[in-house]
Amino acid sequence: MWESLNLKKIVEYAKDPYPSIRKWAKDTGKKVVGSTIADVPEEVIYAFGFLPVAILGTNKPLKKAPSLLPDNACSLARSNLELALSYEGDLFGGFVLPQVCDTTQHLSDIWRINFPDKYVESYLAPRQVDRPSARYWVKEEIERLIASLGKWSGKAVSDEDLNKSIAIHNENKELLKELYEIKKKFPGTITNKEFFAMLKLSEQVDKAEFNKSLMAIKDNLKLKEEKGYTDIILVGITCDPPEIYETFDELKLNIVGDTLVTGTRYLQGDVTLGNGSPIDALTERHFKKGFYSPIHDNVYKNFEEIKKLYKETNAKAIIYVHIEFCESQEFDLPDLKKMIKKEGIPLHVLDTEYQTTSLSHVRTRLQAFFESLKGGSL
Amino acid sequence: MSEKLTSKQMSRKITDAYLEEAFHAHELGKLIGYSTAISPVELFVAHDIIPVYPENHSVANLTAKKGAEMCAITENLGYTSHLCAYARSDLAYRHTGMTVTKGIPEPDLFLACNAQCFTLTKWFQVLARRGNIPLFVFDTPEYVMDKKTREEIVKYCVVQLKELIGFLEEVTKKKFDYDRLKEVMKYSAASSVLYKKFLDMAQYKPSPISIFDALIGMAIAVYRRGTQECVEYYQTLCDEIQAKVDQGIGVIQNEKYRLYWENLPVWFKFSDHAKLLGSYGGVILTSLYVHAWSFEFDLNKDPLVTLAENYVSRFSNSTIEDRASMALKLFEKYSMNGMIMFMNRSCKAVSFAVPTLKDILTKKTGIPALVFESDMGDQRFYAESQVRTRIEAYFETLDRLQA
Repeated sequence: MWESLNLKKIVEYAKDPYPSIRKWAKDTGKKVVGSTIADVPEEVIYAFGFLPVAILGTNKPLKKAPSLLPDNACSLARSNLELALSYEGDLFGGFVLPQVCDTTQHLSDIWRINFPDKYVESYLAPRQVDRPSARYWVKEEIERLIASLGKWSGKAVSDEDLNKSIAIHNENKELLKELYEIKKKFPGTITNKEFFAMLKLSEQVDKAEFNKSLMAIKDNLKLKEEKGYTDIILVGITCDPPEIYETFDELKLNIVGDTLVTGTRYLQGDVTLGNGSPIDALTERHFKKGFYSPIHDNVYKNFEEIKKLYKETNAKAIIYVHIEFCESQEFDLPDLKKMIKKEGIPLHVLDTEYQTTSLSHVRTRLQAFFESLKGGSL
Repeated sequence: MSEKLTSKQMSRKITDAYLEEAFHAHELGKLIGYSTAISPVELFVAHDIIPVYPENHSVANLTAKKGAEMCAITENLGYTSHLCAYARSDLAYRHTGMTVTKGIPEPDLFLACNAQCFTLTKWFQVLARRGNIPLFVFDTPEYVMDKKTREEIVKYCVVQLKELIGFLEEVTKKKFDYDRLKEVMKYSAASSVLYKKFLDMAQYKPSPISIFDALIGMAIAVYRRGTQECVEYYQTLCDEIQAKVDQGIGVIQNEKYRLYWENLPVWFKFSDHAKLLGSYGGVILTSLYVHAWSFEFDLNKDPLVTLAENYVSRFSNSTIEDRASMALKLFEKYSMNGMIMFMNRSCKAVSFAVPTLKDILTKKTGIPALVFESDMGDQRFYAESQVRTRIEAYFETLDRLQA
């Protein structure tokens, strides 16, 4: 299903992966388990023989979600709920929903109440990360998730199953990292849109199959030297709709670093298998990556991370992607902006909302921003 | 012989003494700890840290109708209008000094417990960055319904309370006194029982108290629990209300509708709402919000265990199903026959559950609900005529159903 896709097909599938997932489920007879971002260890779900799918919103109209979540709720949360309630709910055998903020906490309750016949489990991610208890709790939750999936499926997973799953996921991240490096150096070879489509689809389809596509793409790339690109760093949680990447491409903006959950924060999640158990390794992973949940982010740490990326890549500007109405981002952004500006780094904030159909305002503002930069420091 | 003080006089006296001590904390060798209203503040009290609640200060400003002006100041600093009005008005106070009170002392440390919400954590992070002040997040995972998971959650919380004690010892350079904690717990347990007794007096017909009395009466439970004076205050308050019960004195003369309120109040419409509803024979008796401080501490248990069990199981950290069960118990106990479900733009943590909660409550009770959207503190989100029209229409519906 996903083992021999070229870049064009990947972009197409990433835009709407659900028909192919539906067909896969029918052909294989396997169950699909949806998760919202972030922190759920997808390797565990995969080890049970299920397909873990990151639910990343829908561009289709909102019909049912507005009566359950008001219009000042995170637009990704509303969009995800709509996707499950109106469009793709039947596809999923169950859901594992992380609780990383107040909104996701309610979301998992609403989800459970609205899908009484499906398997719905919460993944109670710790909302503090600097103390020993956080490590203890992550391990507890991974073990609880394994027990819960075991009960639902009537199966048990061995360390070997987990290790095998981890290896497939690690391979996927390695391939993506290599492709990202190529994209950064040769933006004419792989566009922003194509790279982030590969990454998005990786979070949604069977990686054992998809890795073959990625491998073939990597091996057959014809590197194209193209000039006139402006390197940028993308900061945020997600960047949607995908047409924003197209706008970057059209404006010849090359993403050379990012902090997105649907970007580098995902790639940082490879699991180091040492002498301990795979559960220990999965626990350690939670703490080694830049934290998935921006609500944990220490703004100073976030700033240092951005500054480092900016300097290392010699980028020309930071683009911050704000999702309406992410409360965490909204509390952090004023101080983060101040720190970035004080450092003399050009910054542009993109306000995005799921279900957005017209991006003309994004394009106009981006154009104006980069034109003003060219008049100055570029 | 001195005359016994009324609860109102006691409340004033306790509050004045508390603020006096807070403003002179450093001279007294004490530290100021900012805390979320729902958090294991017993540890602060046992360690001579004076708890200060920026939320309470915000309530004073919002009730005095300063919300729109203060929130606009914060929005000019780059914050959006979608954030909590407590936080927005507080950030305006930090920026301009604007307040209708004497203000509150600056913090030496922060304690954020997310059983209440994560908003407070983010707000406290903003304040902590202003002075590089230490912040402790007491992380309370949602109190899901599975018994075994609950036990694990409590264990995780106990481990964190031990970490909190370590944190306090490090900040104050002083050893924590567990015997003192036991003593504080006795007061906290006793005042919680009395506070609940006070709230439960709304079950009498006619009810001697409304939610507006409860909202005023809860202040001491929020900021002085764990002290002897808190116990004495609630004993006096209960005695006073019992006297009203004995005389058959109700909040309103012709009590017709006994109402449930979901969410925090609209602070700047506090008394207006009471009058308006009263004119229709309606009195709001209670909400889960005021019950958030009705703790049931078990003094036979390790103090850290009973603290963890109580704080993690607050309504705001419970599943929607459990929240509905808690509300249904109140409907039954207080014989309520109406409900007002407030969608509070400021409080996402409470409000995002409201539509689902409303569906469950109306289905289970057969009582229609009045739903309205506004903000607890920012008048710019309050449409007077719309709310009045809806209240009128709601009472017409209830009248029709009763006829």
